Amino acid sequence: MSTVTTHEAFVHPALFYRTEQEYTQQTVAFLREGLTNGEPMAVAVPGPNLELIKAGLGGDAKGILFLDMTEAGRNPGRIIPKVLRGFADAHPKGRVRIIGEPIWAGRSAVEYPACAQHEALINAAFEGRAVTILCPYDEVRLDPQVIADARVTHPTLISGDGRESVSDVYNWQAVVSRYNQELPTVPDAAAFSYGGEDLPAVRHFAVAQAMRLGLAGERLMDVELAVAELTTNSVVHGGGRGTLAIWAEQGQLVCEVRDAGRLTDPLAGRRPPEHGQLGGRGLMLVHYVADLVRVHTGDDGTTVRFYLSL
Amino acid sequence: MDAPHVVGGPAPAVPGRAALEVSPLPGRSGIRARGEISALTRPSWEQALSELARQHASVSYVELSDVAFVDVAGVTALAVTAMNLPDGRVVVENPPPQLPRVLEMFWPGLDRIEVAL
Repeated sequence: MSTVTTHEAFVHPALFYRTEQEYTQQTVAFLREGLTNGEPMAVAVPGPNLELIKAGLGGDAKGILFLDMTEAGRNPGRIIPKVLRGFADAHPKGRVRIIGEPIWAGRSAVEYPACAQHEALINAAFEGRAVTILCPYDEVRLDPQVIADARVTHPTLISGDGRESVSDVYNWQAVVSRYNQELPTVPDAAAFSYGGEDLPAVRHFAVAQAMRLGLAGERLMDVELAVAELTTNSVVHGGGRGTLAIWAEQGQLVCEVRDAGRLTDPLAGRRPPEHGQLGGRGLMLVHYVADLVRVHTGDDGTTVRFYLSL
Repeated sequence: MDAPHVVGGPAPAVPGRAALEVSPLPGRSGIRARGEISALTRPSWEQALSELARQHASVSYVELSDVAFVDVAGVTALAVTAMNLPDGRVVVENPPPQLPRVLEMFWPGLDRIEVAL
């Protein structure tokens, strides 16, 4: 893997592994290379894989930031601002090196489109920056479509034995579009149509419904904050009005905001604002508090759904 | 900021309608707010904060026990105001729970703001 270095500013390889041994060997080699270069390093992968890497590194694990991706990156939409840019921005001098594994075998069909879009958007978020992000993919347990998508979202591919190649299908924009999937109206959901004057009322409605559906504690406040951001956005940028719907499905509370706006910036909500910047935190807050965010945007309007575990 | 001012329509407020009333804090340097801090009341909140910054000397107080809700932009306006002060700090008293939550999310360890519950 010695050529995955600095010939391009941003380096974003996918690693396709088949065994724990391949996983450990390749990730540890990648990190030891960073150690030699003196690069700040972070590893955000699912818990059991964290243990493999730590064991493989032994004493060299010291000084590396380890995060359980199933927690830090539960919502794939917050991985770019919170995990990746969080670490890269804290180390502005020289190259930083990160292992990020956002897609594991337990990811659901509802989560996957947001995961694939996240992998694609990493390329836009880090274009031109001296950052290396290695994304491991479990070739045995993940769906073949997931592996196929990883070849489209990563310019460089590395096999389990360390052979490196250039992806001939790399086209991250295609994955962003493909997973911009329609989110059809849910007929049985509690719904509230709002205009500018109704912003407090729709917020109160959402909190009351979330309570009725079994949400409690701090997460009720998160619903209130997130709904305030999304509905205010409809009023200010989304045609002046919208419809909120809320329901429970498969152990999760789902809250949806539908309006006539169009989201033109694919990185909206994933670009950390400057400390003293006034705007740009609304959608990011939704990504931070939610376990999942799904978005569909097009000529007919925008639908944002956020999910919270009950 | 000599007299309270109301934004969000004629008083008394229509139920569900947002209003914010801001007045000077008697006996101390700072402001007291009543209502909600959101898109509908933004101009009044930002005006109160710039006045607070203009009169600031070492410690300013923001009393929020009668504020039921504050959104991200409302917390942002407060954080940016505090960061731009030449010195001292802002003590926020009895804020709604969203305020410490949003501060911690976007400005962890901001020592210009002290939250007093």
